Order: sequence, then structure tokens, then C-alpha cells
Amino acid sequence: MLEILIVLFGLSLLWASVTNMLGTIIKILVVQGLILFGITLLKTTQLNWLSFVTIALETLIFKAILIPWFINDTIKHNQIHREVEASVSNFFSLALMSLIFILSFALAGAAPAWSVKIFPLEFGIAFATILKGIFIIIANKKLITHLMGYLIMENGIFLLSLSAGSDLPYIVSLGVSLDIMLSVLIAVLFIKRIRSTFDDADSPETLRED
Amino acid sequence: MGGILLFGFPALAILLCLGLSSRRKIDLLVLLHALIHSGLGTWAYIERGSLMGMDDLGLLIFLILSVLCAAIAFYRLGHKDNSTIKNYRIHSIFLMIFVMAMDGAALAKDLGLIWVFVEATTISSALLISYSNRKSSLEAAWKYLFICSVGIALAFAGILLLVIAQPQHATLLISKIDLSTISPFWLKISFVFILIGFGTKMGLAPLHFWLPDAHSEAPAPISALLSGALLNIALVPILRVDKLMHASGMGDLVQELYLLMGMLSVFIAAVFILRTKDYKRLLAYSSIENMGLIMIAFGCGGMAYYAGFLHILGHSLIKAAFFLTAGNALQIYKDKNYENIGGLLKINRGSGWLWLISSAMIIGLPPSPLFTSKFLIATTMLGKGYYLYFGLLMLLLAVISWGIFNVGLKICLGDSERKQSLNPWLYLAPAGLLFIAAVIGIFLPVMN
Repeated sequence: MLEILIVLFGLSLLWASVTNMLGTIIKILVVQGLILFGITLLKTTQLNWLSFVTIALETLIFKAILIPWFINDTIKHNQIHREVEASVSNFFSLALMSLIFILSFALAGAAPAWSVKIFPLEFGIAFATILKGIFIIIANKKLITHLMGYLIMENGIFLLSLSAGSDLPYIVSLGVSLDIMLSVLIAVLFIKRIRSTFDDADSPETLRED
Repeated sequence: MGGILLFGFPALAILLCLGLSSRRKIDLLVLLHALIHSGLGTWAYIERGSLMGMDDLGLLIFLILSVLCAAIAFYRLGHKDNSTIKNYRIHSIFLMIFVMAMDGAALAKDLGLIWVFVEATTISSALLISYSNRKSSLEAAWKYLFICSVGIALAFAGILLLVIAQPQHATLLISKIDLSTISPFWLKISFVFILIGFGTKMGLAPLHFWLPDAHSEAPAPISALLSGALLNIALVPILRVDKLMHASGMGDLVQELYLLMGMLSVFIAAVFILRTKDYKRLLAYSSIENMGLIMIAFGCGGMAYYAGFLHILGHSLIKAAFFLTAGNALQIYKDKNYENIGGLLKINRGSGWLWLISSAMIIGLPPSPLFTSKFLIATTMLGKGYYLYFGLLMLLLAVISWGIFNVGLKICLGDSERKQSLNPWLYLAPAGLLFIAAVIGIFLPVMN
């Protein structure tokens, strides 16, 4: 069951590579949040009850419901154009995603057998998710898409922390604290109404030098 | 006892601050916090290791922070501010939280805990950067928050990989990590993530984009803290994991990565120092240059390793003084474009001289400690046969020195009928920092 969920998580990355719509990426975030919740349920034995409750609530309420809702609301209120406006084509994005998968699994496979204490499939998907998140941030122009890239990257890190968490349970709680950062980012976008402050919600400024 | 004072007092001061409605009282509370911090710093220096088991690296960073906090608290006594008392109160509270978070990161030995404290510095300082609430400062704060969040997330991935690297009894307490069983394969990947992640927070190229905006948009005392203290704090976890890499026989890889990132940072700084017209951005690019130099120093090893620590110390003091002086200039001209201003020596002699002395010391003219550190870096490079790196670095440093001094001369020289005096604290705080830097430059400290 765990393997199926992890593979589904990986498929959601391919889905993210072929879409141009912000709404679809929000759906992908909901799906990823639900899958992470499912993985947490399956890992109950590896976590203490307090960690389990925190993580279960965090994945289900925070990742699968609240954040997607906030982003959707921000898009509506700031009247952001619903297309991603990526600087690369879907074909390129998909090809790169495939390369990322190859690289991630090669890395998981290249590790000396004695040193591998996590499931290679889990590591490969988690690592690929982190790289995909970075790629979305680099390849897109909008602030809101940058935030979504960050969210996908964070989901990858969360998956990795669930893998490493059996040895050091408090590391999973640390991973949850990443969401504090995320909440601040969303709060800035949501409360400050970036569009009303900047000229538009695109962020060419974030790449500007002088 | 020291730990209670270090974290307990600011916590109490924050509560007290909530009830204060006078700027003067808030300033005095922040000053009291800074003085207690300095007292603890002095105690930690005299009684090595007595404050929360502080090691030499922690002590150096903590001492720098103590001196900067005191200078900034005194500077605030004379700094004009047009914000409402409510905003000023929030600003002061977050300033104390920011300092507490930096203390935690400097003193913690557990990598997970260091990471949490570094994350806390990002959140607290973002609010300090956007203090003026202008469009540009909000944009700078967003850029800072976002890019540093990505960096912090990558650093966390590196920490997770460090856990994966330990097949048995995983721990993040650096001194307890068992090097005999650690997997070099995962440790290597972990270090790369930690270097890129915390390197982002340090302002190292290619993820330095946030730094010029954040440092130029923040109020002068915050710019001084960001540049003089926060960048060092981000270096702490890198140096802590660096020890593991060296002990695992992967020192060469570390040094190559340091040299590469360091040279790239100095190059970026040189290019943009020549392009920018904003004198606060100029200082921010100079911070990128100096962070690059610190990485080059650690990358060269040998005597340059010592030079790296000396450079951290010298850069923090001089750059903080420089940013405070830039704050004086901004208060006088209300303009950050150096092409629109001039005659600072005529308008305000004190700030003019402070600018010229800061310029001379930041480019490494004696008695600046940066003279010795740069000299040691250069001789180590030649000694190790890094001729190409040496030639390129000297060329870039010459360009940067010319850029900084050229702007300094444009701002300070020239004629003006106008005269403007400032509160004496606005001279005393940066002058004190420059004096300490000069004393260190003359009587070089011995470090372990």
C-alpha cells in the first residue's frame, strides 16, 4: 500500500509537468496533501502518538485543505491570470521531470548497500519532488507560482523526513516547523495583497539586480 | 544562570515593552538588553566555555553579536524615526527576538536546533526589513523571506540526508556523530545541500539576490545587524558540518566548493559594485564580496583558515559601522543615489570622515584587520600554487576597492553651503566599532 501511495505521489509530479493552469496545480497540492496523510497513517508504528497526531492534522488540514484554499482565495482576490506563464514548454518540463526521476533513482541506487536505511523508491520520489519544486520556482514568473513550487518542494522534504523520521522522530516535527515559514509567506501574500502593493503579481523584480 | 539571563531577560523585556508608550523608554530597554548581552559576552570570553558550554566558534560569533548589539542600541538613541509608537514598539520587540534567535544559533550544538534558530532569524528579520512599509521595502522583505525560505528548506533536506548518512544511532548533535559508521556517500550529498541552503542565507552567489534589496531597504541599524551578524550566523552550521567532512577525509571537496562559491561571489560583487548607483546597495554587494572572501579563506586552508576568522571579525565591525554611517548620510540627504549627493565633509564633517575611514578599512588598508586577513589569504594562495585564482582575485579586489573608494570620494568631496548636525550617538556608535576594528588590526588576536 505504501508503495502505491508513493508511486501516486510521483505521478502527481508528472501531472504538474503537463499543466498550465494554476487551478490544476492547486488540485495537485490537495492530492499530495492527502497522499502524505495516507503515508503518515501507514507509518503510525514508527512515530510516537504526539508526532502522529501533529503530522496527521498538519497533512490533512494544513496541506490538503487550508493552504490550497488560501492560495485559491489569493488568486481570486488579486485577480491573477489563471495561467502559469512558464518560461518553458510542457514538453521540456516533462522531459526534465523524467531526467529528474532518473537522477533521483540513480542516486538512490548508487548509495552503497550497507548505508541505505531508507526505501530507495521513497527516497527517489522525495528527492525528485524537491528538485521539481526548485524547477517550478526557477521556470516561472509569477509570485503565486513560486509559492506553489515552494509548496511542492516542501512536500518532498516532508516525505523525506517521514523516511528519516523512524530513527530520529523529532526530525519530523522540525519538518512541520517549515510550515511556519510557509504560513508567513502565505500571510504576506494574503494580508498585504501583493497585487495592490506591487505593480502586478508577477515577480520579475525577484530576478532583478540593479 | 548565563543562559537564563541571555534568553530570560529579552523575554521579560518583550513583555515589558508591550506596556511602554514612550520611545525613550523602549530605547533604554533595548539598550539594557544589549548591555546585558555585552556583559555575558565579556564573561564568556574570560571564563571560556562557562556560558552554555560555548566553543571557540560560538564564542567568536557571540562576541561579535554582543559588540554590534551595544553599538546599535546606542545608535538608536540618536536615530530619528517617523513611525508610530505602535510600529516602533513592534520593531523593537522583533529586534530583541532577532538577537535571541541569533544567540541560539551561535550557541546551539545540535544541527536541528541551529536550523530552527536560523529559521527564526528569517521570520523576525523579515518584519524588520519591511519596517518602513514602502513598496520597495515590502518587495525586499518578500524577496528575502522567499529566497531564504528556499535556502532553509534545502538546508533542512541536507540535515535529513545527514540523518540518512548515519546507519546506526542517528543524531544531530555534532560531537556525538559516529564518524566510524557514517556513510561518506550520503554525507557528501548532505554537505552540498547544507552549503547551498545556509549559503543562500549567507548571501553567497548564485543565490545572493535577496541581499542587496534587503540590506538597502532595511533601516540603518538593521542593515548593520544583517550584514555584521546574520551572515556570520548562517556560516556557523556550515563550519560545524565542515568539521565532519574533514574528519571523514573529504576536506578536498569542501575546499573546492568553498573556492568556487567564494570566487563567484567576489565576481558578482565586483560587477554590481560598478553598476549600482545606490550607496546602500553598494555596501550590500561589498558584504557579498566579503562573504566570498571568507569562503575563499576557508577553501585555501592553512594560515588562510585563521584569516577567515579574522575576516569575519573585521568585516562585521567595519561593515556595521559603514551601514550606520550610511544611515547618517540617508538622514542628511534623504536620497540613496550617490550621483545626486556630495559634499558630506562640508555638510557634516563627522559623517564624512566616518565614511572615508570606513571605505579605507573595508577595502583593507591598515590598520584594518582585513589587511592582515587579505594578506594571509593571498600568501596562502601563492604558497599552495593557486596562481589563477590568485590573479583573478587580485583583479576583482582592485575593481571593488576602486568602486567603493570612488563612490566614497564622490559622496564626501564637493562643495556645499549647507550644514547639518546630528545627534552625537550617530557618530559615537560607528566610531566605536571602527576603533575596536583598528585595535584588533594592530594587536592581532590569537585564535585556536
